[in-house]
Amino acid sequence: MSAVLAAAHLRVVRGGRTLVAVERFAVDPGEVHVLLGANGAGKSTLLAALNGLEPAEGDLVFDGTAVRSGAARLELRRRTAAVFQRPHLLATTVRGNVETGLRLRGAGRDEARRRAAAALDLLGIGHLAERRREKLSGGEAQRVSLARALAVDPVVLFLDEPLAALDPPTRRALTTDLLRIFERRAMAVLWVTHDRDEALTVGDRVSFIEDGAVTQTGPVRDVFARPSSASLADFLGLETYLEGRVRTGTDGVSTQLVVDDGVVVACGEAPDGPAIACLPPEDVVLFRVPPPEGSTSLRNVVEGRVKSVTPAGRLLHVVVAGDRLEVGALVTRAAFEELELRVGAPVAAAFKASAVHPIPSHEHRPR
Amino acid sequence: MQTIWEGFVEAFRLLFGGDGAIYEIAARSLVVSGLALAAALVVGVPLGGLIALASFRGRRLVVAGVNTGMAAPPVVVGLFVALFLTRNGPLGELRLLYTTWAMVIAQFVIALPIVIGLSLAALQQLDDGLRRQIAALGAGRWQAFRLQLLEIRVALLATVMAAFGAIISEVGAVMMVGGNIRGQTQVLTGAIVQETRIGRFSVAIALAIILMGMAFSANAVLTVIQQHGRSRA
Repeated sequence: MSAVLAAAHLRVVRGGRTLVAVERFAVDPGEVHVLLGANGAGKSTLLAALNGLEPAEGDLVFDGTAVRSGAARLELRRRTAAVFQRPHLLATTVRGNVETGLRLRGAGRDEARRRAAAALDLLGIGHLAERRREKLSGGEAQRVSLARALAVDPVVLFLDEPLAALDPPTRRALTTDLLRIFERRAMAVLWVTHDRDEALTVGDRVSFIEDGAVTQTGPVRDVFARPSSASLADFLGLETYLEGRVRTGTDGVSTQLVVDDGVVVACGEAPDGPAIACLPPEDVVLFRVPPPEGSTSLRNVVEGRVKSVTPAGRLLHVVVAGDRLEVGALVTRAAFEELELRVGAPVAAAFKASAVHPIPSHEHRPR
Repeated sequence: MQTIWEGFVEAFRLLFGGDGAIYEIAARSLVVSGLALAAALVVGVPLGGLIALASFRGRRLVVAGVNTGMAAPPVVVGLFVALFLTRNGPLGELRLLYTTWAMVIAQFVIALPIVIGLSLAALQQLDDGLRRQIAALGAGRWQAFRLQLLEIRVALLATVMAAFGAIISEVGAVMMVGGNIRGQTQVLTGAIVQETRIGRFSVAIALAIILMGMAFSANAVLTVIQQHGRSRA
Protein backbone atom coordinates (compact mmCIF):
# COMPACT_ATOMS: atom_id res chain seq x y z
CA MET A 1 0.00 0.00 0.00
CA SER A 2 1.50 3.36 -0.94
CA ALA A 3 1.47 5.89 1.86
CA VAL A 4 -0.72 8.96 1.59
CA LEU A 5 1.86 10.90 3.57
CA ALA A 6 5.50 9.88 3.70
CA ALA A 7 8.54 11.54 5.18
CA ALA A 8 12.20 10.64 4.84
CA HIS A 9 15.20 12.17 6.61
CA LEU A 10 12.89 14.74 8.13
CA ARG A 11 14.56 17.23 10.44
CA VAL A 12 13.13 20.20 12.30
CA VAL A 13 15.82 22.53 13.60
CA ARG A 14 14.95 25.56 15.67
CA GLY A 15 17.46 27.95 17.17
CA GLY A 16 20.28 25.60 16.25
CA ARG A 17 18.65 22.75 18.14
CA THR A 18 17.36 19.63 16.39
CA LEU A 19 13.85 19.04 17.68
CA VAL A 20 12.91 16.22 15.34
CA ALA A 21 15.06 13.88 13.28
CA VAL A 22 13.00 11.12 11.72
CA GLU A 23 14.51 8.76 9.15
CA ARG A 24 11.25 7.37 7.80
CA PHE A 25 7.62 7.91 8.64
CA ALA A 26 4.49 7.08 6.72
CA VAL A 27 0.74 7.29 7.14
CA ASP A 28 -1.20 4.80 5.03
CA PRO A 29 -4.63 5.49 3.54
CA GLY A 30 -7.48 4.65 5.88
CA GLU A 31 -5.37 3.89 8.93
CA VAL A 32 -5.39 5.50 12.35
CA HIS A 33 -1.71 5.97 13.01
CA VAL A 34 -0.91 6.91 16.58
CA LEU A 35 2.20 8.91 17.36
CA LEU A 36 2.92 8.03 20.97
CA GLY A 37 5.47 9.59 23.25
CA ALA A 38 6.10 11.42 26.48
CA ASN A 39 5.70 15.17 26.87
CA GLY A 40 8.50 16.97 25.07
CA ALA A 41 9.37 13.97 22.90
CA GLY A 42 8.70 15.92 19.69
CA LYS A 43 5.25 14.56 18.80
CA SER A 44 3.58 17.90 18.11
CA THR A 45 6.61 19.23 16.25
CA LEU A 46 6.64 16.18 14.00
CA LEU A 47 2.89 16.56 13.42
CA ALA A 48 3.40 20.24 12.54
CA ALA A 49 6.15 19.31 10.07
CA LEU A 50 4.00 16.61 8.48
CA ASN A 51 1.05 19.01 8.26
CA GLY A 52 3.08 21.74 6.58
CA LEU A 53 2.77 24.04 9.58
CA GLU A 54 6.45 23.85 10.36
CA PRO A 55 9.15 24.06 7.69
CA ALA A 56 11.39 21.02 7.83
CA GLU A 57 14.46 19.69 6.07
CA GLY A 58 14.19 16.40 4.21
CA ASP A 59 11.62 14.83 1.96
CA LEU A 60 7.89 15.03 2.47
CA VAL A 61 5.53 13.46 -0.03
CA PHE A 62 1.80 14.00 0.21
CA ASP A 63 -0.55 12.03 -2.02
CA GLY A 64 2.25 11.34 -4.49
CA THR A 65 3.50 14.94 -4.70
CA ALA A 66 6.69 16.24 -3.12
CA VAL A 67 6.09 19.07 -0.66
CA ARG A 68 9.02 21.44 -1.06
CA SER A 69 7.74 25.03 -1.15
CA GLY A 70 5.52 27.25 0.97
CA ALA A 71 2.84 26.97 -1.71
CA ALA A 72 3.03 23.16 -1.56
CA ARG A 73 2.74 23.27 2.22
CA LEU A 74 -0.37 25.47 1.89
CA GLU A 75 -1.83 23.00 -0.60
CA LEU A 76 -1.08 20.18 1.88
CA ARG A 77 -2.88 22.09 4.64
CA ARG A 78 -5.83 22.73 2.34
CA ARG A 79 -6.30 19.03 1.68
CA THR A 80 -5.86 17.95 5.28
CA ALA A 81 -7.22 19.18 8.61
CA ALA A 82 -5.91 19.50 12.12
CA VAL A 83 -7.44 19.52 15.58
CA PHE A 84 -5.35 20.48 18.57
CA GLN A 85 -5.62 19.94 22.30
CA ARG A 86 -7.47 23.26 22.67
CA PRO A 87 -10.35 23.86 20.25
CA HIS A 88 -9.11 27.31 19.09
CA LEU A 89 -12.49 28.46 17.88
CA LEU A 90 -12.83 31.74 16.02
CA ALA A 91 -14.91 34.60 17.45
CA THR A 92 -18.04 33.71 15.56
CA THR A 93 -20.87 31.19 15.78
CA VAL A 94 -20.38 27.43 15.75
CA ARG A 95 -21.68 27.36 12.18
CA GLY A 96 -19.39 30.24 11.23
CA ASN A 97 -16.43 28.32 12.59
CA VAL A 98 -17.22 25.22 10.58
CA GLU A 99 -17.95 27.22 7.44
CA THR A 100 -14.67 29.14 7.72
CA GLY A 101 -12.49 26.14 6.85
CA LEU A 102 -14.68 25.37 3.85
CA ARG A 103 -14.74 28.99 2.64
CA LEU A 104 -10.96 29.26 2.93
CA ARG A 105 -10.73 26.27 0.60
CA GLY A 106 -12.95 27.89 -1.99
CA ALA A 107 -16.39 26.46 -1.17
CA GLY A 108 -19.33 28.69 -2.12
CA ARG A 109 -21.68 30.08 0.53
CA ASP A 110 -24.44 27.51 -0.05
CA GLU A 111 -22.06 24.58 -0.26
CA ALA A 112 -20.27 25.71 2.91
CA ARG A 113 -23.56 26.00 4.76
CA ARG A 114 -24.74 22.57 3.62
CA ARG A 115 -21.48 20.80 4.44
CA ALA A 116 -21.14 22.59 7.79
CA ALA A 117 -24.63 21.46 8.77
CA ALA A 118 -23.78 17.87 7.83
CA ALA A 119 -20.54 17.95 9.84
CA LEU A 120 -22.30 19.39 12.89
CA ASP A 121 -24.93 16.65 12.68
CA LEU A 122 -22.17 14.04 12.36
CA LEU A 123 -20.74 15.20 15.69
CA GLY A 124 -24.21 15.48 17.24
CA ILE A 125 -24.06 19.26 17.74
CA GLY A 126 -26.43 20.50 15.03
CA HIS A 127 -28.49 22.21 17.75
CA LEU A 128 -25.49 24.38 18.72
CA ALA A 129 -25.08 25.91 15.25
CA GLU A 130 -25.95 29.48 16.26
CA ARG A 131 -24.11 29.46 19.59
CA ARG A 132 -20.96 31.48 20.06
CA ARG A 133 -17.75 30.00 21.39
CA GLU A 134 -18.01 31.43 24.92
CA LYS A 135 -21.34 29.66 25.41
CA LEU A 136 -19.87 26.20 24.80
CA SER A 137 -18.52 23.64 27.26
CA GLY A 138 -15.02 22.22 26.71
CA GLY A 139 -16.42 19.04 25.19
CA GLU A 140 -18.81 20.94 22.92
CA ALA A 141 -16.04 23.26 21.76
CA GLN A 142 -13.82 20.32 20.89
CA ARG A 143 -16.69 18.73 18.96
CA VAL A 144 -16.99 21.98 17.00
CA SER A 145 -13.27 21.86 16.28
CA LEU A 146 -13.62 18.26 15.07
CA ALA A 147 -16.68 19.13 12.97
CA ARG A 148 -14.71 22.00 11.42
CA ALA A 149 -11.94 19.55 10.52
CA LEU A 150 -14.23 16.80 9.22
CA ALA A 151 -16.37 19.22 7.18
CA VAL A 152 -13.54 19.75 4.72
CA ASP A 153 -13.35 16.01 4.04
CA PRO A 154 -9.60 15.84 4.70
CA VAL A 155 -7.33 13.29 3.06
CA VAL A 156 -5.42 13.13 6.35
CA LEU A 157 -6.83 14.23 9.69
CA PHE A 158 -4.17 15.37 12.15
CA LEU A 159 -5.21 15.13 15.79
CA ASP A 160 -2.81 16.59 18.34
CA GLU A 161 -3.88 15.30 21.76
CA PRO A 162 -7.51 16.09 20.93
CA LEU A 163 -8.91 14.56 24.13
CA ALA A 164 -6.22 15.56 26.61
CA ALA A 165 -8.09 18.56 28.01
CA LEU A 166 -11.43 16.79 28.45
CA ASP A 167 -12.91 15.06 31.49
CA PRO A 168 -13.08 11.23 31.37
CA PRO A 169 -16.81 10.85 30.49
CA THR A 170 -16.53 13.44 27.69
CA ARG A 171 -13.35 11.77 26.49
CA ARG A 172 -15.03 8.36 26.35
CA ALA A 173 -18.07 9.71 24.49
CA LEU A 174 -15.94 11.55 21.96
CA THR A 175 -13.65 8.54 21.44
CA THR A 176 -16.66 6.37 20.66
CA ASP A 177 -18.01 8.91 18.18
CA LEU A 178 -14.63 9.35 16.50
CA LEU A 179 -14.13 5.61 16.08
CA ARG A 180 -17.59 5.40 14.51
CA ILE A 181 -16.71 8.23 12.12
CA PHE A 182 -13.34 6.71 11.22
CA GLU A 183 -15.07 3.45 10.33
CA ARG A 184 -17.38 5.23 7.92
CA ARG A 185 -14.84 7.50 6.27
CA ALA A 186 -11.85 6.49 4.22
CA MET A 187 -9.48 9.16 5.49
CA ALA A 188 -6.14 8.54 7.16
CA VAL A 189 -5.68 9.79 10.71
CA LEU A 190 -2.49 10.76 12.49
CA TRP A 191 -3.34 10.85 16.19
CA VAL A 192 -0.77 12.28 18.59
CA THR A 193 -1.06 11.26 22.22
CA HIS A 194 0.95 10.55 25.34
CA ASP A 195 -1.80 8.27 26.64
CA ARG A 196 -1.04 4.59 26.04
CA ASP A 197 -4.64 3.52 26.74
CA GLU A 198 -5.86 6.02 24.15
CA ALA A 199 -3.30 4.65 21.69
CA LEU A 200 -4.51 1.11 22.32
CA THR A 201 -8.14 2.14 21.93
CA VAL A 202 -7.96 4.13 18.72
CA GLY A 203 -4.83 3.05 16.86
CA ASP A 204 -4.28 0.65 13.99
CA ARG A 205 -0.57 1.37 13.96
CA VAL A 206 1.58 3.16 16.46
CA SER A 207 4.91 4.92 16.23
CA PHE A 208 6.84 5.63 19.39
CA ILE A 209 8.80 8.85 19.45
CA GLU A 210 11.45 9.83 21.95
CA ASP A 211 14.00 12.63 21.82
CA GLY A 212 12.63 13.65 18.45
CA ALA A 213 13.22 10.27 16.80
CA VAL A 214 10.75 7.53 15.92
CA THR A 215 12.17 4.41 17.52
CA GLN A 216 9.51 1.81 16.74
CA THR A 217 6.56 1.53 14.38
CA GLY A 218 4.11 -1.32 13.99
CA PRO A 219 0.61 -2.59 14.61
CA VAL A 220 -0.53 -1.33 17.99
CA ARG A 221 -0.88 -4.78 19.58
CA ASP A 222 2.57 -5.83 18.40
CA VAL A 223 4.31 -2.73 19.69
CA PHE A 224 2.54 -2.97 23.03
CA ALA A 225 3.39 -6.67 23.31
CA ARG A 226 6.93 -6.38 22.04
CA PRO A 227 8.45 -2.98 22.72
CA SER A 228 11.94 -2.82 21.29
CA SER A 229 13.54 -0.65 23.91
CA ALA A 230 13.64 -0.37 27.67
CA SER A 231 12.36 3.21 27.50
CA LEU A 232 9.32 2.23 25.42
CA ALA A 233 8.66 -0.74 27.70
CA ASP A 234 8.82 1.60 30.64
CA PHE A 235 6.53 4.12 28.93
CA LEU A 236 4.03 1.38 28.16
CA GLY A 237 4.07 0.25 31.75
CA LEU A 238 5.81 -3.03 30.92
CA GLU A 239 8.32 -2.57 33.66
CA THR A 240 9.42 -6.22 33.70
CA TYR A 241 12.05 -5.90 31.05
CA LEU A 242 14.27 -8.91 30.38
CA GLU A 243 17.50 -8.95 28.43
CA GLY A 244 19.48 -12.10 27.69
CA ARG A 245 19.81 -14.96 25.18
CA VAL A 246 17.14 -17.19 23.69
CA ARG A 247 17.90 -20.89 23.57
CA THR A 248 15.99 -24.03 22.80
CA GLY A 249 14.91 -25.92 25.93
CA THR A 250 16.28 -29.32 26.88
CA ASP A 251 13.12 -30.94 25.49
CA GLY A 252 14.14 -29.62 22.07
CA VAL A 253 10.77 -27.97 21.59
CA SER A 254 10.30 -25.24 24.18
CA THR A 255 12.07 -21.91 24.11
CA GLN A 256 13.81 -20.30 27.01
CA LEU A 257 15.21 -16.88 27.65
CA VAL A 258 18.30 -17.01 29.81
CA VAL A 259 18.39 -13.62 31.42
CA ASP A 260 21.80 -12.09 31.89
CA ASP A 261 21.91 -12.88 35.58
CA GLY A 262 21.22 -16.57 34.93
CA VAL A 263 17.47 -16.68 35.49
CA VAL A 264 15.78 -18.98 32.98
CA VAL A 265 12.35 -17.94 31.75
CA ALA A 266 10.13 -20.01 29.50
CA CYS A 267 9.13 -17.78 26.62
CA GLY A 268 7.37 -17.62 23.28
CA GLU A 269 9.03 -18.82 20.10
CA ALA A 270 12.07 -16.93 18.91
CA PRO A 271 15.35 -17.70 17.15
CA ASP A 272 18.32 -18.52 19.34
CA GLY A 273 20.54 -15.57 20.15
CA PRO A 274 20.57 -12.31 22.06
CA ALA A 275 17.11 -10.93 22.71
CA ILE A 276 15.02 -8.70 24.86
CA ALA A 277 11.54 -9.36 26.18
CA CYS A 278 8.86 -7.60 28.17
CA LEU A 279 6.26 -9.00 30.47
CA PRO A 280 2.92 -7.16 30.51
CA PRO A 281 1.76 -6.82 34.15
CA GLU A 282 -1.77 -7.82 33.21
CA ASP A 283 -0.40 -11.25 32.16
CA VAL A 284 1.01 -11.97 35.63
CA VAL A 285 -1.10 -13.95 38.11
CA LEU A 286 -0.39 -13.80 41.85
CA PHE A 287 -0.76 -16.67 44.35
CA ARG A 288 -0.26 -16.80 48.09
CA VAL A 289 1.51 -20.15 47.65
CA PRO A 290 3.06 -21.33 44.38
CA PRO A 291 0.72 -23.52 42.34
CA PRO A 292 1.87 -27.15 42.16
CA GLU A 293 4.03 -27.80 39.10
CA GLY A 294 1.97 -28.93 36.12
CA SER A 295 -1.32 -27.83 37.71
CA THR A 296 -1.60 -24.76 35.47
CA SER A 297 -0.30 -23.56 32.13
CA LEU A 298 1.70 -20.90 33.95
CA ARG A 299 5.18 -22.22 33.26
CA ASN A 300 7.06 -19.45 35.04
CA VAL A 301 6.81 -18.90 38.78
CA VAL A 302 8.73 -16.28 40.75
CA GLU A 303 8.57 -16.73 44.49
CA GLY A 304 9.23 -13.66 46.58
CA ARG A 305 7.69 -10.93 48.67
CA VAL A 306 5.54 -7.94 47.91
CA LYS A 307 7.91 -5.02 47.41
CA SER A 308 5.42 -2.26 46.68
CA VAL A 309 1.74 -1.64 46.01
CA THR A 310 0.56 1.41 44.07
CA PRO A 311 -2.89 2.32 42.72
CA ALA A 312 -3.27 2.01 38.95
CA GLY A 313 -6.72 3.33 38.14
CA ARG A 314 -9.26 0.80 39.37
CA LEU A 315 -6.51 -1.81 39.77
CA LEU A 316 -3.48 -2.07 41.99
CA HIS A 317 0.03 -2.48 40.75
CA VAL A 318 2.03 -4.94 42.81
CA VAL A 319 5.78 -5.46 42.47
CA VAL A 320 6.97 -8.90 43.53
CA ALA A 321 10.66 -9.10 44.38
CA GLY A 322 12.13 -12.58 43.86
CA ASP A 323 15.71 -13.61 44.52
CA ARG A 324 16.98 -12.47 41.13
CA LEU A 325 13.93 -11.13 39.32
CA GLU A 326 11.34 -8.46 39.99
CA VAL A 327 7.94 -8.87 38.38
CA GLY A 328 5.12 -6.33 38.18
CA ALA A 329 1.50 -7.46 38.27
CA LEU A 330 -1.91 -5.80 38.09
CA VAL A 331 -4.57 -7.11 40.47
CA THR A 332 -8.08 -6.11 41.39
CA ARG A 333 -8.74 -4.66 44.83
CA ALA A 334 -10.79 -7.74 45.67
CA ALA A 335 -7.87 -10.03 44.77
CA PHE A 336 -5.55 -7.79 46.76
CA GLU A 337 -7.67 -8.24 49.88
CA GLU A 338 -8.16 -11.94 49.32
CA LEU A 339 -4.45 -12.60 48.85
CA GLU A 340 -3.50 -10.26 51.73
CA LEU A 341 -0.86 -8.60 49.61
CA ARG A 342 0.64 -6.25 52.18
CA VAL A 343 4.17 -5.04 51.58
CA GLY A 344 6.57 -7.78 52.73
CA ALA A 345 3.97 -10.55 52.47
CA PRO A 346 5.12 -13.77 50.77
CA VAL A 347 3.68 -14.19 47.28
CA ALA A 348 4.24 -16.11 44.03
CA ALA A 349 4.02 -14.42 40.62
CA ALA A 350 3.28 -16.76 37.74
CA PHE A 351 3.01 -16.17 34.00
CA LYS A 352 2.73 -18.15 30.80
CA ALA A 353 5.63 -18.68 28.45
CA SER A 354 3.53 -17.02 25.72
CA ALA A 355 3.35 -13.82 27.79
CA VAL A 356 7.07 -13.33 27.19
CA HIS A 357 7.80 -12.24 23.61
CA PRO A 358 11.55 -12.20 22.94
CA ILE A 359 12.72 -9.84 20.21
CA PRO A 360 16.13 -10.57 18.72
CA SER A 361 18.41 -7.79 19.84
CA HIS A 362 19.56 -6.96 16.32
CA GLU A 363 16.02 -5.73 15.67
CA HIS A 364 16.70 -2.84 18.00
CA ARG A 365 16.36 0.43 16.23
CA PRO A 366 19.10 2.92 16.98
CA ARG A 367 18.04 5.48 19.58
CA MET B 1 -18.83 83.79 36.62
CA GLN B 2 -21.25 86.07 34.81
CA THR B 3 -19.04 85.97 31.73
CA ILE B 4 -18.97 82.20 31.71
CA TRP B 5 -22.74 81.98 32.07
CA GLU B 6 -23.34 84.53 29.33
CA GLY B 7 -20.82 82.69 27.23
CA PHE B 8 -22.79 79.46 27.51
CA VAL B 9 -26.11 81.18 26.70
CA GLU B 10 -24.63 82.84 23.64
CA ALA B 11 -22.96 79.58 22.66
CA PHE B 12 -26.27 77.72 22.63
CA ARG B 13 -27.86 80.58 20.68
CA LEU B 14 -25.10 80.27 18.07
CA LEU B 15 -25.34 76.49 17.99
CA PHE B 16 -29.07 76.28 17.55
CA GLY B 17 -29.41 79.52 15.61
CA GLY B 18 -27.76 77.96 12.61
CA ASP B 19 -24.51 79.93 12.49
CA GLY B 20 -23.08 78.69 9.20
CA ALA B 21 -19.47 79.63 10.01
CA ILE B 22 -19.44 77.45 13.12
CA TYR B 23 -20.83 74.43 11.29
CA GLU B 24 -18.37 74.96 8.47
CA ILE B 25 -15.47 74.83 10.94
CA ALA B 26 -16.94 71.71 12.56
CA ALA B 27 -17.40 70.04 9.19
CA ARG B 28 -13.82 70.88 8.20
CA SER B 29 -12.55 69.34 11.44
CA LEU B 30 -14.47 66.15 10.78
CA VAL B 31 -13.30 65.87 7.18
CA VAL B 32 -9.62 66.54 7.98
CA SER B 33 -9.50 64.17 10.95
CA GLY B 34 -11.68 61.58 9.19
CA LEU B 35 -9.43 61.49 6.14
CA ALA B 36 -6.27 61.36 8.26
CA LEU B 37 -7.70 58.55 10.36
CA ALA B 38 -8.84 56.54 7.34
CA ALA B 39 -5.42 56.86 5.73
CA ALA B 40 -3.70 55.93 8.99
CA LEU B 41 -5.88 52.82 9.30
CA VAL B 42 -5.28 51.74 5.69
CA VAL B 43 -1.52 52.10 6.07
CA GLY B 44 -1.10 51.43 9.79
CA VAL B 45 -3.04 48.22 10.34
CA PRO B 46 -1.17 46.22 7.65
CA LEU B 47 2.12 47.69 8.88
CA GLY B 48 1.23 46.72 12.44
CA GLY B 49 0.43 43.24 11.17
CA LEU B 50 3.69 43.02 9.30
CA ILE B 51 5.71 44.04 12.34
CA ALA B 52 3.70 41.77 14.66
CA LEU B 53 3.77 38.65 12.51
CA ALA B 54 7.05 38.84 10.60
CA SER B 55 10.47 38.27 12.07
CA PHE B 56 13.25 40.41 10.67
CA ARG B 57 16.48 41.99 11.78
CA GLY B 58 15.96 45.26 13.63
CA ARG B 59 12.37 44.46 14.56
CA ARG B 60 12.83 45.62 18.16
CA LEU B 61 14.23 48.91 16.94
CA VAL B 62 11.20 49.40 14.69
CA VAL B 63 8.85 48.64 17.61
CA ALA B 64 10.74 51.12 19.80
CA GLY B 65 10.43 53.70 17.01
CA VAL B 66 6.68 53.12 16.75
CA ASN B 67 6.26 53.45 20.50
CA THR B 68 8.23 56.69 20.47
CA GLY B 69 6.05 57.94 17.61
CA MET B 70 2.96 57.28 19.70
CA ALA B 71 4.20 59.81 22.23
CA ALA B 72 5.49 62.38 19.72
CA PRO B 73 4.26 65.92 20.54
CA PRO B 74 1.97 67.22 17.75
CA VAL B 75 3.94 70.47 17.47
CA VAL B 76 7.06 68.47 16.65
CA VAL B 77 5.12 66.57 13.99
CA GLY B 78 3.80 69.92 12.73
CA LEU B 79 7.31 71.32 12.58
CA PHE B 80 8.66 68.44 10.46
CA VAL B 81 5.62 68.34 8.16
CA ALA B 82 5.96 72.11 7.70
CA LEU B 83 9.67 71.70 6.91
CA PHE B 84 8.83 69.10 4.26
CA LEU B 85 6.02 71.17 2.74
CA THR B 86 7.61 74.61 2.90
CA ARG B 87 8.42 76.18 -0.45
CA ASN B 88 12.10 75.13 -0.22
CA GLY B 89 11.36 71.77 1.38
CA PRO B 90 11.52 68.35 -0.33
CA LEU B 91 7.78 68.45 -1.10
CA GLY B 92 7.56 72.22 -1.56
CA GLU B 93 6.59 71.94 -5.22
CA LEU B 94 3.31 70.35 -4.24
CA ARG B 95 2.31 73.71 -2.68
CA LEU B 96 0.37 72.03 0.09
CA LEU B 97 1.45 74.19 3.02
CA TYR B 98 -1.46 76.14 4.53
CA THR B 99 -4.03 73.92 2.85
CA THR B 100 -6.34 71.36 4.42
CA TRP B 101 -4.24 68.62 2.75
CA ALA B 102 -1.25 69.70 4.81
CA MET B 103 -3.43 69.34 7.91
CA VAL B 104 -4.55 65.88 6.79
CA ILE B 105 -0.89 64.88 6.32
CA ALA B 106 0.09 66.20 9.76
CA GLN B 107 -2.77 64.39 11.47
CA PHE B 108 -2.00 61.25 9.47
CA VAL B 109 1.57 61.37 10.79
CA ILE B 110 0.26 61.77 14.35
CA ALA B 111 -2.29 58.94 14.01
CA LEU B 112 -0.08 56.48 12.13
CA PRO B 113 2.17 55.35 15.03
CA ILE B 114 -0.88 55.07 17.28
CA VAL B 115 -2.62 52.80 14.79
CA ILE B 116 0.53 50.75 14.12
CA GLY B 117 1.42 50.46 17.80
CA LEU B 118 -2.03 49.46 19.07
CA SER B 119 -2.82 47.02 16.25
CA LEU B 120 0.65 45.50 16.61
CA ALA B 121 0.11 45.02 20.35
CA ALA B 122 -3.31 43.47 19.80
CA LEU B 123 -2.03 41.05 17.15
CA GLN B 124 0.92 40.06 19.30
CA GLN B 125 -1.42 39.14 22.12
CA LEU B 126 -3.30 36.66 19.94
CA ASP B 127 -2.76 33.08 21.01
CA ASP B 128 -0.09 31.32 18.92
CA GLY B 129 -2.29 28.24 19.00
CA LEU B 130 -5.11 30.13 17.32
CA ARG B 131 -2.67 31.42 14.71
CA ARG B 132 -1.55 27.85 14.07
CA GLN B 133 -5.16 26.68 13.87
CA ILE B 134 -5.95 29.36 11.29
CA ALA B 135 -3.01 28.18 9.20
CA ALA B 136 -4.15 24.58 9.59
CA LEU B 137 -7.60 25.56 8.35
CA GLY B 138 -5.90 26.26 5.04
CA ALA B 139 -5.64 30.04 5.24
CA GLY B 140 -3.16 31.73 2.93
CA ARG B 141 -1.17 34.69 4.22
CA TRP B 142 -3.83 37.35 3.56
CA GLN B 143 -6.69 35.12 4.60
CA ALA B 144 -4.87 34.45 7.88
CA PHE B 145 -4.28 38.19 8.37
CA ARG B 146 -7.96 38.95 7.73
CA LEU B 147 -9.09 36.28 10.21
CA GLN B 148 -6.68 37.61 12.81
CA LEU B 149 -8.02 41.13 12.32
CA LEU B 150 -11.51 39.79 12.93
CA GLU B 151 -10.24 38.24 16.16
CA ILE B 152 -8.85 41.58 17.37
CA ARG B 153 -11.74 43.72 16.12
CA VAL B 154 -12.60 44.95 19.61
CA ALA B 155 -9.01 46.11 20.09
CA LEU B 156 -9.06 47.69 16.63
CA LEU B 157 -12.07 49.79 17.61
CA ALA B 158 -10.13 50.97 20.65
CA THR B 159 -7.35 51.88 18.24
CA VAL B 160 -9.76 53.93 16.14
CA MET B 161 -11.02 55.71 19.25
CA ALA B 162 -7.54 56.49 20.51
CA ALA B 163 -6.31 57.76 17.15
CA PHE B 164 -9.43 59.84 16.47
CA GLY B 165 -9.29 61.34 19.96
CA ALA B 166 -5.65 62.25 19.48
CA ILE B 167 -6.08 64.05 16.15
CA ILE B 168 -9.47 65.72 16.54
CA SER B 169 -8.24 67.42 19.72
CA GLU B 170 -4.73 68.39 18.68
CA VAL B 171 -4.05 72.01 17.88
CA GLY B 172 -0.31 72.46 17.42
CA ALA B 173 0.28 70.63 14.16
CA VAL B 174 -2.84 71.79 12.30
CA MET B 175 -2.16 75.43 13.15
CA MET B 176 1.47 75.16 12.06
CA VAL B 177 0.80 73.52 8.69
CA GLY B 178 -2.71 74.89 8.06
CA GLY B 179 -2.17 78.43 9.24
CA ASN B 180 -5.55 78.60 11.03
CA ILE B 181 -6.97 80.68 8.15
CA ARG B 182 -10.60 81.55 8.76
CA GLY B 183 -12.85 80.09 6.09
CA GLN B 184 -10.05 77.98 4.61
CA THR B 185 -8.01 75.92 7.03
CA GLN B 186 -9.48 76.74 10.40
CA VAL B 187 -10.65 73.75 12.39
CA LEU B 188 -12.34 73.60 15.79
CA THR B 189 -9.22 73.57 17.94
CA GLY B 190 -7.56 76.44 16.05
CA ALA B 191 -10.77 78.44 16.10
CA ILE B 192 -11.13 77.97 19.87
CA VAL B 193 -7.60 79.27 20.35
CA GLN B 194 -8.27 82.26 18.14
CA GLU B 195 -11.66 83.16 19.62
CA THR B 196 -10.30 82.87 23.16
CA ARG B 197 -7.37 85.07 22.24
CA ILE B 198 -9.64 87.88 21.04
CA GLY B 199 -12.03 87.50 23.97
CA ARG B 200 -15.05 86.09 22.12
CA PHE B 201 -15.64 83.50 24.77
CA SER B 202 -19.18 82.66 23.71
CA VAL B 203 -18.00 81.53 20.26
CA ALA B 204 -15.07 79.67 21.83
CA ILE B 205 -17.47 77.88 24.19
CA ALA B 206 -19.84 77.04 21.34
CA LEU B 207 -16.93 75.55 19.38
CA ALA B 208 -15.70 73.69 22.47
CA ILE B 209 -19.17 72.19 22.99
CA ILE B 210 -19.18 70.98 19.38
CA LEU B 211 -15.68 69.55 19.74
CA MET B 212 -16.59 67.76 22.95
CA GLY B 213 -19.86 66.56 21.44
CA MET B 214 -18.05 65.26 18.40
CA ALA B 215 -15.47 63.40 20.48
CA PHE B 216 -18.20 62.07 22.76
CA SER B 217 -20.45 60.94 19.88
CA ALA B 218 -17.64 59.17 18.05
CA ASN B 219 -16.51 57.43 21.22
CA ALA B 220 -20.05 56.58 22.27
CA VAL B 221 -20.81 54.92 18.93
CA LEU B 222 -17.53 53.02 18.95
CA THR B 223 -17.98 52.02 22.60
CA VAL B 224 -21.42 50.61 21.87
CA ILE B 225 -20.01 48.63 18.94
CA GLN B 226 -17.04 47.54 21.04
CA GLN B 227 -19.12 46.37 23.99
CA HIS B 228 -21.46 44.55 21.60
CA GLY B 229 -18.41 42.94 20.01
CA ARG B 230 -16.96 42.03 23.40
CA SER B 231 -20.16 40.30 24.49
CA ARG B 232 -20.10 38.32 21.24
CA ALA B 233 -16.35 37.73 21.13
